[in-house]
Amino acid sequence: MINSHSEQLNIYGEYFNSRLLIGSALYPSPQIMQQAIQSSGAEIVTVSLRRQNSVSAGEDFWQLIKETGLKVLPNTAGCHSVQEVVTLAQMCREVFDTDWIKLELIGDEYNLQPDPFGLLEATDILLKEGFKVLPYCTDDLVLCQRLADLGCEVLMPWGAPIGTGKGLINTYNLKTIRERLPEQTLIVDAGLGLPSHACQALELGYDAVLLNSAVAGAGDPVKMAAAFSHAVEAGRMGYIAQAMPEKEVAAPSTPTMGMPFWHQN
Amino acid sequence: MTEYGAKPSVAIVGFGLVGRVAALELMDRYQLTIFEKDPQDAQTGAGTLAAAMLAPLAESVICDRILAEQGLKSIALWPSLLKKLDTPVFFQQQGSLIVAHQQDRGDLQSFEQRLKPLGEHQSTRVSQRDIATLEPELGGKFNQGLFLPCEGQLDNSAFFTSSYETLCCRGVDFQFTQAATIEADKVNGQAFDWIIDCRGVGAKQDKPGLRGVRGEVARIFAPEVNLQRPVRLMHPRYPIYIAPKPNHQYVIGATEIESQDANDITVRSTLELLSAAYTVHSGFAEGRVMSLNAGLRPAFVDNHPHIEVQNNVISINGLYRHGYLLAPVVVQQALSKGLL
Repeated sequence: MINSHSEQLNIYGEYFNSRLLIGSALYPSPQIMQQAIQSSGAEIVTVSLRRQNSVSAGEDFWQLIKETGLKVLPNTAGCHSVQEVVTLAQMCREVFDTDWIKLELIGDEYNLQPDPFGLLEATDILLKEGFKVLPYCTDDLVLCQRLADLGCEVLMPWGAPIGTGKGLINTYNLKTIRERLPEQTLIVDAGLGLPSHACQALELGYDAVLLNSAVAGAGDPVKMAAAFSHAVEAGRMGYIAQAMPEKEVAAPSTPTMGMPFWHQN
Repeated sequence: MTEYGAKPSVAIVGFGLVGRVAALELMDRYQLTIFEKDPQDAQTGAGTLAAAMLAPLAESVICDRILAEQGLKSIALWPSLLKKLDTPVFFQQQGSLIVAHQQDRGDLQSFEQRLKPLGEHQSTRVSQRDIATLEPELGGKFNQGLFLPCEGQLDNSAFFTSSYETLCCRGVDFQFTQAATIEADKVNGQAFDWIIDCRGVGAKQDKPGLRGVRGEVARIFAPEVNLQRPVRLMHPRYPIYIAPKPNHQYVIGATEIESQDANDITVRSTLELLSAAYTVHSGFAEGRVMSLNAGLRPAFVDNHPHIEVQNNVISINGLYRHGYLLAPVVVQQALSKGLL
């Protein structure tokens, strides 16, 4: 059945037109951050509280985020234990007046790979506390299934490790997660570098992508944000339009002149 | 105000890096009064904590070309500024070396692509052998890097000491531990011909949009380490400099966190900075930690310096992470509004 939200991104019952979520770290300046966010067309912006040390210490920067007028998705970047994540999520709820939390729990310091075991534990605690949890996870099917079993309506498997810009390094895994969890909102989070990576994620049937370094670290973040916006739109349209089946042999799109018709197929 | 025949009076509010540069520019022509909210020997401002790098080419990766070009001009101005001091201050322009561990070579490539050549000043790629020639103690440690010949640094600790002593000898009136209020042409009710507001983050209440950006640094005494020039190590989140100062002292910094928190350095940042230094040179292992500090860089939303003139009050603020890189040029631009 088609309803009025069928072509919108659904995050725990809230609907958005843009399928691009954008981060707020690592820009050359807050001004460029604000311009890039605007240029991306994103309606959701993620923000980290971990290293500000206190609520008042980060107030100036958070004010700049609030000025964008976008829905804020606080994240727990920089946390290494379940207790840290839970405490920070509670602080985020106070500061931003939202029950949304993008759950990041680092298991490996160097490539910032999520800790799947701690992630399940923290997700369980926070869902029971009434949070709407968006867990950042690896592209492991069983992990995603367990998170969904706990009650996560949104899952955020990585494309590649944070900040690498490598794109979707395991499309097989990502496709499998999509096929096996058709009801969940799936967002590729982390590892994208090029607009084509975002396009590919949407073509696979992912509902959205979340970016930060790909835009903030670009030579021209504002232009790159716009490029990603177009790529996401193209990828989604491509998915909706249903791609032609792949074939192993070439099939000319127009008949070849001078060749008997029975030789043409 | 000024009596007939006397030098015009100037109040400098804030005795950090910008206040000192302004005072040195003005000390011969004006009667100066300097207001500073902290005691004379306080180590709180961004200028005391910084690595005092003069790195316009490296910074061009994250800032506009125009700022990088101003940085290049500032390097040329520093020697004449330091000549005004009664005691010499270490200054060098022997380039800087950029290196990356194997895992971070992607960051090095990206850094190289983003460098904006400044006229004839560019970076050159250096091999393991070149690195060994430039910095013999790093020979064999890194396979590749970049050399930025136009860059330099100075000893900010000595600059702070020497600038204070020099200005004392010139009869400058110091009002330490004086939280100053600037109203019209008066500071704390006292009238001046000119007022230069150099308060940095201290002016936050009066400057909408001014924020602090937290930075943390370590100062290490490491007699086993002999680096000739600043070395910048690629790091996934922020650049880490190891800046060699006289007498085997090294400033290692700096973190960059969007926070107003000026409290002590965190354990995490300490570990990051010191482990980065150790991976560059194992001689840091037996070095002595002289200080671990945190402070706030003043910045506006565009991270550019702002000069404002209102009647006879000139405000210079928002030099962000480019205090030493830009101060001479920005202060000259500001003072040219009527004082120079």
